[in-house]
Order: sequence, then structure tokens, then C-alpha cells
Amino acid sequence: MAGEILEYAVRGVPIGCVFALMAVGLVLTYKTSGVFNLAFAAQAYTSAVVFYEVRKEHEWPLLPAALLAVVVVAPLIGVILDRFLYRYQRTAGSLAKLITSLGLLVAIPEIVRLIFGSGSKKNPPALWWVKRTDDFLWPQGSRFVLDAGQIATLAFTAIAVTGLAIMFSRGGIGLRMRAVVESPRLVQLQGIDASRVSLASWMLSSLLAGLAGVLIAPLFAQLNSLDFFTLLVAAIAACVIGSLTNIVATFIGGIGLGILQAELAGFLPTDSILATGLRPGLPFLVLFGLLLFRRSARTSHEVTDPLSGVDPPPPPPAASLRPSWMTMGTRVFAVTVAVLGLVLALFVLDEFWLSVVTSGVVLAVVLLSIVLTTGVGGTISLSQAAFAAIGAFTTAQLTTNFNLSVLVAMVAGALVAAAVGAVLSLPIIRLAGIYPALATLAFALMFENVLAPLSWVSGGATPLTVPRPLVGPIDFAGNRAFLLLSVGILAVLSVAVIMIRQGTTGRFLDAIRESEPAASAVGINPIRPRLVAFVAGAGVAGFGGGLVASFNGQANYAANFTFYLGLVWLVLVITAGFRSVQAAIISGIFFYVLPQLLDRLFRWPGNYLTSNPEVSGVTKSVLDFIEPEWSLGVAFILFGFGALTYAKHPEGIIEAQTTKSIRKVLGWIDKARGKGPTPASEQLVTQVGGGR
Amino acid sequence: MRNTRRAVLVALFAVVSLVAGACSNSETKAAPVTTNTGSDGADVKNPGKNVPVDAPGVTDTEIRVGGVASVTNPLGGKFGTAFDGVKAYFDMVNAKGGIYGRKLVLAAERDDKLGNNKVEVEGLLTQDDVFAVLPVATLLFTGAQTLVDQNVPTFGWTINSEWAGNEQNPKKNLFGQSGSFLCFNCPYPTLPWLAKQTDRHKVGVMAYAVDQAAKCADGVKASFEEHGQDADAELVFIDKSLAYGTADLSVQVSKMKRAGVDLVTTCMDLNGVVTLAKEMKKQELDAIAYLPNAYDHEFVEEFGDLFEGSFVRTDFVQWEVEDKPKGLQTYLDQMEEAGMEPTENSLVGWLNADLFVTGLREAGPAFDRQKVIDGINQLTNYTADGILAGVDWTRAHTEVARPGVACQFLSKITDSEFKPVYAKPGKPFVCSVDKGGKLVTQYEA
Repeated sequence: MAGEILEYAVRGVPIGCVFALMAVGLVLTYKTSGVFNLAFAAQAYTSAVVFYEVRKEHEWPLLPAALLAVVVVAPLIGVILDRFLYRYQRTAGSLAKLITSLGLLVAIPEIVRLIFGSGSKKNPPALWWVKRTDDFLWPQGSRFVLDAGQIATLAFTAIAVTGLAIMFSRGGIGLRMRAVVESPRLVQLQGIDASRVSLASWMLSSLLAGLAGVLIAPLFAQLNSLDFFTLLVAAIAACVIGSLTNIVATFIGGIGLGILQAELAGFLPTDSILATGLRPGLPFLVLFGLLLFRRSARTSHEVTDPLSGVDPPPPPPAASLRPSWMTMGTRVFAVTVAVLGLVLALFVLDEFWLSVVTSGVVLAVVLLSIVLTTGVGGTISLSQAAFAAIGAFTTAQLTTNFNLSVLVAMVAGALVAAAVGAVLSLPIIRLAGIYPALATLAFALMFENVLAPLSWVSGGATPLTVPRPLVGPIDFAGNRAFLLLSVGILAVLSVAVIMIRQGTTGRFLDAIRESEPAASAVGINPIRPRLVAFVAGAGVAGFGGGLVASFNGQANYAANFTFYLGLVWLVLVITAGFRSVQAAIISGIFFYVLPQLLDRLFRWPGNYLTSNPEVSGVTKSVLDFIEPEWSLGVAFILFGFGALTYAKHPEGIIEAQTTKSIRKVLGWIDKARGKGPTPASEQLVTQVGGGR
Repeated sequence: MRNTRRAVLVALFAVVSLVAGACSNSETKAAPVTTNTGSDGADVKNPGKNVPVDAPGVTDTEIRVGGVASVTNPLGGKFGTAFDGVKAYFDMVNAKGGIYGRKLVLAAERDDKLGNNKVEVEGLLTQDDVFAVLPVATLLFTGAQTLVDQNVPTFGWTINSEWAGNEQNPKKNLFGQSGSFLCFNCPYPTLPWLAKQTDRHKVGVMAYAVDQAAKCADGVKASFEEHGQDADAELVFIDKSLAYGTADLSVQVSKMKRAGVDLVTTCMDLNGVVTLAKEMKKQELDAIAYLPNAYDHEFVEEFGDLFEGSFVRTDFVQWEVEDKPKGLQTYLDQMEEAGMEPTENSLVGWLNADLFVTGLREAGPAFDRQKVIDGINQLTNYTADGILAGVDWTRAHTEVARPGVACQFLSKITDSEFKPVYAKPGKPFVCSVDKGGKLVTQYEA
């Protein structure tokens, strides 16, 4: 028994080292830039692809290939991120930086695929003088054998951890890096070039990402960015063990996770429900457990710049500053546009575009939940897709097994999702800083890996069917009827969200967001309104999930509710404006319509060449170069890059553009009247001009 | 004010609940649409006869079809090459005058971004105006029911359970490349038979903790319970709790070594299979592998040495076979002529096109959709000129082709190449049959 425990522990060390390497990279980035950089996985993937291309496709020798991928390309990405992005976010909160990293996580792999092609990249080369990691085994014939990849990972992880531990314990550059995270302006006052220190931080952490990517790639038979992200998420548990700051504790946490995984694989009966449930979700369970039970996760880790008080306040919502006649006019205009859009969809669009638009409207219902949870409640949640899936599965199970009316089943789905949200929210809303985001991430991945595959939850390999509703004599089986139903539901839920946002709960949450101590001092319980927003958000997501399932005729997790899709939805809504209902609606429609429009755009050159075979020369080459398959990648790049605007416009692009438009209109009116600026337009000009 | 808002919210909820309570579920399906015919060009009845046909996608000169594939997929799979197979087949038929005086046209090649092929299928039917849908080579098949509701002849790659029908919903218009019914947990006699042939006695199986893979592992377990006695082989290790994308199987291999496993099979993707093989090499586990989904030439080129002596199963004749059936030789020749690489997916496209043309031929010059569907569903031994072991389309939608009998083409990985085994001249398929507990071998053309 003891021998087996020891054996499994030893076998767990190499994979533990992989977790540790990723985790140390995350902690290094967080310590030196204040960014919990989920895009670390995307950066690692980029270096792995570059290494693959030069080493395998172009057959470069090992050292030049490694130098290019790890020492040149990886730090160069760091330079780009710092110079063009994070330097403008130095004083932003960690949440803003996390959102930016989410955008990069979505965009970078697509850019890499556009540059290097989306074909399979099989057998990634090892960072060793061999063709494949198992070509070098050491010590041969022994009970515990390491391959070239494992040896390289062990060696480089040890070097990285030792070097970083020394760097941070001996002062100098490590101290300056941390100081820049705390307050770049105070550091500047000390005569230190914060900009240069920040650049060095990003180059160093990106180098580590590149190294991790090249070392980890041979673990897989072919390169796939999602594999890197899965490993990174597993590594987050190790980061939390190290409280996001302690490099050595993080390293030990990573190794410990690898050993725990091996022990469970060794001792849990492999054919048991316990093993099926526990083992695939282990890293996420550990992460979730750590976040719930560690006191430090409830204490704010938000790094606040002592000089941040000199920053101007964020601009107020445009709607709160416009005159009442303009508010009324805007509403009339919005309703007119919506009605015209609906008429256009119903009577002009063909079945295909009708289906695309309806998909968007249905998704918008789910996205309203992000407005509630994140925009109104202030809790960044990465689990809204999981709540939508809960609603969809409940709807499907109730209609399939109990022959319940689908609309009733959708309401039941919303209630079940809300109940799960309530249970989840109790610990989550007490967490501080980026920890709620990490906890919801852990829940979403647990749901994806452990619960969604269970046949009693999802129906198993064959998705459960969900019918369209029939209300009295009105049959919603047709797409046009279903669009009308969806628009009606969206309108009702939008009004409900606006009422919550403008009601007592919303106002309490506004007060808490401004100053939690002040809000508590006047008797506002900070927990209750957050809980209401979180639970309501889960319920709306659940209802939306049921609607998605009914529209598609089935509750299909892989097609509609994966964690990754949820990530993209969040990025989209935050980009558009996570407090705004219209942002959710526009994001939902945009999510489905944009890739189709891009598809038509990228197909045009090929179609043109087919119908004009006489075209030749440079024009033909350029048109030939464009591939229809780019559409989804370009759409995701645009979605991802949209999140990068969050730092400049935390209120969202739509709100920012609305403010700008109101300012222009008021300016024109003032000019036409021959008057000076009105108080409202003046205030808007001041706010916009002084925005962050 | 607060109470008013609450009242309005409650009222909204009540209205929604009442409306929901007053309703039921729609059972309306779109009315079936009908139409037309065909053949493989070399063997068409009345190839030049052009009878007026009133069917979607059919003109006096053309029969339009369209397909959808996961061209943009995160796995880097070559699913898009299914279009190549269809095009190569249509080129061959059109070069011989087409069908009933009409050219076959692959009018639309759609990419099901985000696995959303329901929308793309609607696009095929409403924008591209196709008579039939082929090929469908997608990771998910969310558009299946739409095609069933519209009764459109549909041909594709059967990797999703949505292809299969049942008594309530037989899905008679969905045609996979070698049958539409998938049974993941059926106790096929193949593996016990192979254990007997190779003198292996202790078997291990590994699967991801997802429903389809876990059922596959259950199927392996059941097959040894039912057919293992004659082979003197037993399942001694099963692990169906692996996380998708797992990168470490050292403990599992260690346990298999201790259990004396000498034959391994998996219900995993190539990633998992390679991780397993590398670990087996490190721990010097002396076992061969049975690989049901590994007929991939890039894969064997990169990792073949790890799988030396292992067996690869397909339900079609692999192109390394010396005595090539006519259908396979034609496929390879056409692909070469078109300058395209043969792949499993392009072969699927070819088979889809062949079955479609066969359906057109069976339907006759006054073809329509229903006649094509009916024409195919009366075939009892469809082989695509020897590429397949024989599909009985009178039952292949809803049940296992032949219970207790499993026919397949087998090759052995030798020197990083697929070397056909158990095939006999003119009889490439080897069938394992359980006759009263005795596993016997049959050869089929």
C-alpha cells in the first residue's frame, strides 16, 4: 500500500511540473503587472506554433528555433501587449485587466491560425535534440522513466522557479516591478522609469509563457489552443494555493495537484461513478474548494493606486444627462427601429437569415443575464453559459419525460437555474477582487467536465429533443412565429432587468459599487442585493437556455452552451456595455450575424474569380489569397479586440457612442438656437473630455 | 414606488406563467417536399432521357446538391475534404453525360461555424435550393431534425447518434456512409475474435468520461462477457473516467502492466491514443493496440513506430489492399486525376455521392425526393462496388446490421504503414461470428 502511494506520487510529479510551470507564469504576470492573464495560454500556444513551424516545417536546428520562439517572439508579444495595451491600463482595476486578457484569449489563437493556417499540426517537436519526446528515455529500463519532454520541463521549471524566487527576494528589479503594479505614479516620483519596468515585466512573463508553450506542446499529439487553456485552468488552483503572489508556494501547489491527480487515478475504482465524477473535474473542484474555504480569498486583493484619487470620475450614463424630451425621442426612435427591424425580419428575410436573426434574439435573452449579474450585480461571472445549459436540460427533461408544456418547462428551467445560482452565490458573492470570476470559472468547467456528460443531466450522446411552444391556437413551430415569441419574451425580460436596475436593488448596488463601507454605514446590506442580482441572472440565463433549446429543437451542450462560448458572450457584452439592455440585444444578434456577413464577404473573391476567369496577375493572386474559412476567425478576433476597448470605455462602446451622439446633437441644437452650451451638453462635454 | 415595481414584476411573472400554463407543445412539422433520380454514370438506366421533373434543385440541365462540413474546426480535422470526394464523383458522372440528361452540381459548400449546422441546413434548403444534402461531415449534427422534417435525402459521415432512427422517428431519409445506426455499447464479437487470433488473453480499455466514450467502454466489457470464453480472454482493466485532453496516463499504464494486459483498446481520440502509446513505450508494456479510428496516414507517418503490430479497423476497404475492388480503384483514380489526396473524409464524400446516384438510378427518370429515399431503402446489399462490406438499407436506419456478426477491414501497422491483414483476394472483409459461443471467421466480398 505504502509502496503504491509512493509510486503514484512519483508518477504525478512530471504532470505536476507542467501545472507548476503554467501557474508560476500566471503568478509572475500577476505580481509584475497586476494582470491575471488568462491570455497566458494563448501566448504559450503562439510560441508553440512558431516553434512547430520553424523546427518541423522549415527544419531549423533546435537552438535557433527555440531562440526565435521563446526568446524573440514571446517577449515581442510582451512588448506589443505592454506598449499598445496594458500601459494604458496601469491604473485600471484588476477586473478591467482580467477582461482585457479574456479578449486576448479569444483573439490571439485566431490570429495565429490566420497567419499559420488552421491545418492540424501533428507531433509538436520537443525542446530537445530528438524528433519526438519518447526518442530519448532516461534512465532506460528503470521503473520510473522520464522522456525528453519531461526532463526539459523539470529542468526549466526548476530554473524558472529558483530564478524568480531569487529575483523577488533579493529586491532590485523584482521590487520595482511590484512597485509599478502598486502605483506607477509614485514610482515615477522616485525617479524610476515605470514605463521601462513595466516593459521588462511583460517581456519576462511573456518569455515564460513562450517557454511553457514550447515545453508543453509535445504532451499532445497535435497543437490545439484549447488544450493549453485547459491546462492553464487546472494550474489556476495552484496559483490560489500560492495566494496569487507566492512563487514557491505556487510551485509546490502545482506539484501537489499532479500528485493528488495520480493518487486518485491509482486508488479510486476506475469503473465507479465516484471516479467518473471526481477525476475529470479534480482541478476545478480543488480550485472551487480553495476559494470557498480560504479566508484570504474573501479579503480584497485589489491593488489600488494611492494616487488614483486624481483620476477624473467615470462618465455618468448618457441617459441620466440628456433632457427629458431627448429621452422620450430616443425611446420613440428605439421602438421605431425595433419595430421596423422586426417587420423587415418577418417579411423580407428568407428562412436562412430569419433563422440567423432569431438565433441572435434568443441568445440576447441569455445575455440579459450578464447585464443582471455583472452589470447590475457587479459580480463577474464566467458561468452564465452553464446556467443556460441547466435551463435547457431541465426544459428538455421535463418535456421529454413528463410531457410538460415547453413554456412551463422553461419557467421550471429558470427556477432550477436560479436555485443553483442561489446555492453558488452564497459563497461567491463574499469573495473579493478577481476571485468571484475564478470561482465561477471553476464552476463552469466542473459543469462542463463532470455534470454535462451525465446522461441523467443532458441525455447523453443523443441530445434530448425540445419542442416549439403551442399557446392555445397559436403554433410557434414556424420560424417567423418563433421570432415573434422570442422578441416578446426579450421585451418582457428587458423591462424586468431595467426595473431591477432602476429599482431598490439596483440603487443599493450602485451605492455599494461607489463605496461599500459608506453603503453599509447607511444600513445597506451588501450581500442581499448582490445575491438577488446573481440569482436573477442565473434564472434569466436558465430561461434563455430553455428558449435556445426550443428554437434549436434540442438541448445540445456542445453546440450551444460550452464554457468557451460563454467566455465569448461575456467579452461581447462587456465590450458593448454590460449595464445596458440594448448592449445585450445588439451583442446577441451581432454574435450570429457578423460571422455570416464575413462569410459572404470572404466568399465574394472566389465567386468573382469563378464568374470572371479572365482575371489574372496581382488581382487574381490577391483574390485567391482570401479564404472563406476566415470568417469565424475574423469575427472572433473582432469580438476579442472589442474587449480591449474596455479600459478606455468601461461603460461600453454603445454607451460611449451614445454619449458622444448626445453631445453632438445637443451642440447642434445649441448652435442652431444661437445659444451657448446648455448645462447638459456642457456636462457631457466635460465628462467625455475628462474620461479615463 | 418599490411596491409598485414589485407588483409589476410579480404581474409580469404571473402573465408569463399563465400563458405558459395555457399552452402545450407544437407537433407541427413542415410538409414533406418531394422530387427525383440517378446512377454512377457508367451504369445509368436511360442516361440521356430527360423527363420533366418538378422538384427543388432540379432543372432541365442540372441536379443541384449542397453540403455542410466542419471546415473550421478546433481539431484540425480534414472534414472539408468530404466535398472533394463528392466533386470527384460528380466529375466522373458528368464526364459520362450526367444523369437523365442532367449534370450533377455541388452548388453549395457550407462551413458549419460553431457547430451551428441547423442554420446552414436551412440555408441549403432555402437559399441554395438543393435537391439533396451531401456531404454532411460535421462534428455535431444539429440540423438533422430539420432535414428529417423536410424529408430531404441526406448523405453524410455517421459519427453522431442523430443519424440513427428509432420506431417513433425512423429518419428514413438520413443515409450514413455505411449505415446510419450507431450502437456504442453493443457487444460486438470483433475484439474477442481478434484476441483469439493474436493469442492475447488480458485486455485493457480506456475511455473518456463522456457518455459516448463510456458507452463504448461498456460495449467492450460486454463483448468479452458475451464472447470472451472461446477466446480465453478477459477484460482485466477498464478506466472510463479520463478527462478529455488528459496528458498523463502513467498510473493507468502502470496498473495495466501489473494486471498483465497484452491487448489494449481505447475509446479516445488520437491525442489520447498517442499519450497512451508513449506511456506504454516508457513503461515497456508489451501489448498491442486495437485502434478503431486510426486510419489516418499523417498519424501513422508521425506515430506509426509507437503502434507497431497494432490493428486498425475500418468499415471500408483500405487503399493499401492489393486486390482493389472496382469501386475503390475508381475512387483512387479519380482523386489522382483531380490532383486531390485520398482521405477518409473524401472517401466518405465519394460514398455519399455514389449512394445518392444509386438512389437516383433506383428512382427512375421521373424521380423525386421520396422516390430516391425509397429507392435506397429497398437496397439489401449496397457495397459501393466493393468498398463496403454490404449495407442492408431496409434496416440500417434503426438497428445493427447483423447481430452477432461484425465485418470489418483490418490492417496491421508495420514499419509505420498500414498492411492489410486477414483479407483474401476478392474477399477483403473479415467477419467475426459467434456461433453458439464459438468464435468463427468468415470472409466476405
